[in-house]
Amino acid sequence: MSSSSSQFKQLEKLGNGTYATVYKGLNKTTGIFVALKEVKLDSEEGTPSTAIREISLMKELKHENIVRLYDVIHTENKLTLVFEYMDKDLKNYMDSRTSGNSTRGLELSLVKYFQWQLFEGVTFCHENKILHRDLKPQNLLINNKGQLKLGDFGLARAFGIPVNTFSTEVVTLWYRAPDVLMGSRSYSTSIDMWSCGCILAEMITGKPLFPGTNDEEQLKLIFDIMGTPDEQLWPAVTSLPKYNRNLPKKEPKDLKKLLQAHTKEIVDDQVIDLVTGLLQLNPDARLTAKQALHHPWFGEYYQQQ
Amino acid sequence: MSVKQKKKVLEKPEGYKVISDDDLFRSSSQYRLWSFTKEQLDTKRVDTNAHAVAAIEEKLTMFKKDYASDISEEDAKMINEKAIPLTAEEELKLVDFYAKKVQGIAQHLNLPTEVVSSALIFFKRFYLENSVMEIDPKTIVHTIIFLACKSENYFISVDSFSKKTKASRDTILKYEFRILESLKFSLLCHHPFKPLHGFFLDIQNVLHGKVDVKYMGEIYTKTKKRISDALLTDVAFLFTPPQITLAALSLEDEQLTEKYLETKFSNTDTIIEASKDTNEKDKDSEVIKEDRPDKINYILLLSLIDQCKEVMSNPSQVSMEEAKSSAAKLYFCNHPMNIIQRNKKTQPDGTDSKEESPVKKQKI
Repeated sequence: MSSSSSQFKQLEKLGNGTYATVYKGLNKTTGIFVALKEVKLDSEEGTPSTAIREISLMKELKHENIVRLYDVIHTENKLTLVFEYMDKDLKNYMDSRTSGNSTRGLELSLVKYFQWQLFEGVTFCHENKILHRDLKPQNLLINNKGQLKLGDFGLARAFGIPVNTFSTEVVTLWYRAPDVLMGSRSYSTSIDMWSCGCILAEMITGKPLFPGTNDEEQLKLIFDIMGTPDEQLWPAVTSLPKYNRNLPKKEPKDLKKLLQAHTKEIVDDQVIDLVTGLLQLNPDARLTAKQALHHPWFGEYYQQQ
Repeated sequence: MSVKQKKKVLEKPEGYKVISDDDLFRSSSQYRLWSFTKEQLDTKRVDTNAHAVAAIEEKLTMFKKDYASDISEEDAKMINEKAIPLTAEEELKLVDFYAKKVQGIAQHLNLPTEVVSSALIFFKRFYLENSVMEIDPKTIVHTIIFLACKSENYFISVDSFSKKTKASRDTILKYEFRILESLKFSLLCHHPFKPLHGFFLDIQNVLHGKVDVKYMGEIYTKTKKRISDALLTDVAFLFTPPQITLAALSLEDEQLTEKYLETKFSNTDTIIEASKDTNEKDKDSEVIKEDRPDKINYILLLSLIDQCKEVMSNPSQVSMEEAKSSAAKLYFCNHPMNIIQRNKKTQPDGTDSKEESPVKKQKI
């Protein structure tokens, strides 16, 4: 780790991360593309703690399904994190496949391959006692080889560190678990698994499963499809801070029918079983990343080995 | 319903990697970048020192050359006497002296144990890469603590940190990046407090009915304190977090620790045999035997714990005099001009003006 900023040529802007701007860059010595994440240095507080934490976590996470941090460069008033370059994120990728107004999902074989890699990356994070906390298609990066890698660990946390309520406001609503929406503060790896379930459904249909615009609507959309939780299904639910006793009692919808409506391929029972396992309202009943990797839907990958 | 919905999960395919906590630690940056043998650690310190000594000597030679016409023979003699670069041992003592300050200030600020511990680890790591002759420890004490707050996600603004420590904002932030760089951006520390909690629960499980819960509570608190202080020594460079925990436990109650380790590890084969009976489905027990985290070389473990206890029991004791004497050498190495000026002041009437010595004014 000892490059200087002159080693990189800054190219077009790729987007905005949680606390920084990301550019495409070219390493002039090696000719390799990189992603340059530029963090403005706040003269008030020094290096932002979000950057410190992302650097700190990325130094630990070396895995083929997690985007690599190559280097950190310091210049006068900014800090640049040099990441492995990825061609697209899953959101761009899905958008680019949408023709006209008709949304459609990805081929199921590709969905399976992406989802498998997503679970590999998440398993590795969880084994290392790190929560991503902001899994969404925009943060899943894809290259031309079809590899999928987890990116943007700006909101990630090591377990055991108390998470303040303030920061939960930042996380995208659509992929947020119902327990978090209802104010649970004791959440753990299961919140990432909920996001994985939402992402899987979205890859199949090409559109977000629960596109809420505020906390209340988000919960309503979830309960409309997954059913309204009660104490029998989820014993601790009534003691959550934002539990609403007066919600209309909804029955779970048929997920298979729902997903099948948006894809031409046959949605089999196994993938529905996996989605159901991930989208358990009760966080304790949700599949873990490791269990998900061993789900029969991925059986063919094991037979190949 | 949740029981009914429990998913059927595939049997683990053969050869699928089983990852133990130890494997995870071995892949951590703490192990990869900041764990050493005693010899490696000594060499590293000697090298850092030699590098800085060479730079100081070059600077002094330049100084004598540049001011050749102004320096009397006596001045030159004084410079040779006072501006003596520190040895590696003296450096280490000064680092240890200030490490204690870091701990004291951080504790005084009522920071969580993890933050205090990370600050200590960062400070000690920084002075493996840098010499006290390059960056005066007292200039980074506050920066290190502030950085530890950020990396442990303990929010405190520069302003309130500055108010509480009476350190200026500039002092707090000045060397932040230099520190990050010296730490090789490796900030996630594996402290022994999680293993302590784990062993605390496991001891009560393994020695069920043989230990008093209230007594265990006391042992827990005392061991935690002992671990916090042990981080002032080199243990974190030399041993893994569970090893440090067991050593601290053993220093607190040797009998209990021995009994626990003996029950748990001394006859691992029996344990594995026993567990096989309850788990007949495991056809490939050979693999499982290999991967069992409790298959541990008991004799080696005991010897490692003893070595760790040895390091822990010998914290360096640095007196204020020793620290001051090193600080003075340090000061004169970096400010040789002051030796001359001081010499001149004492010249006319021969009175000693020690009172005005800048060293005296230096706050340690």
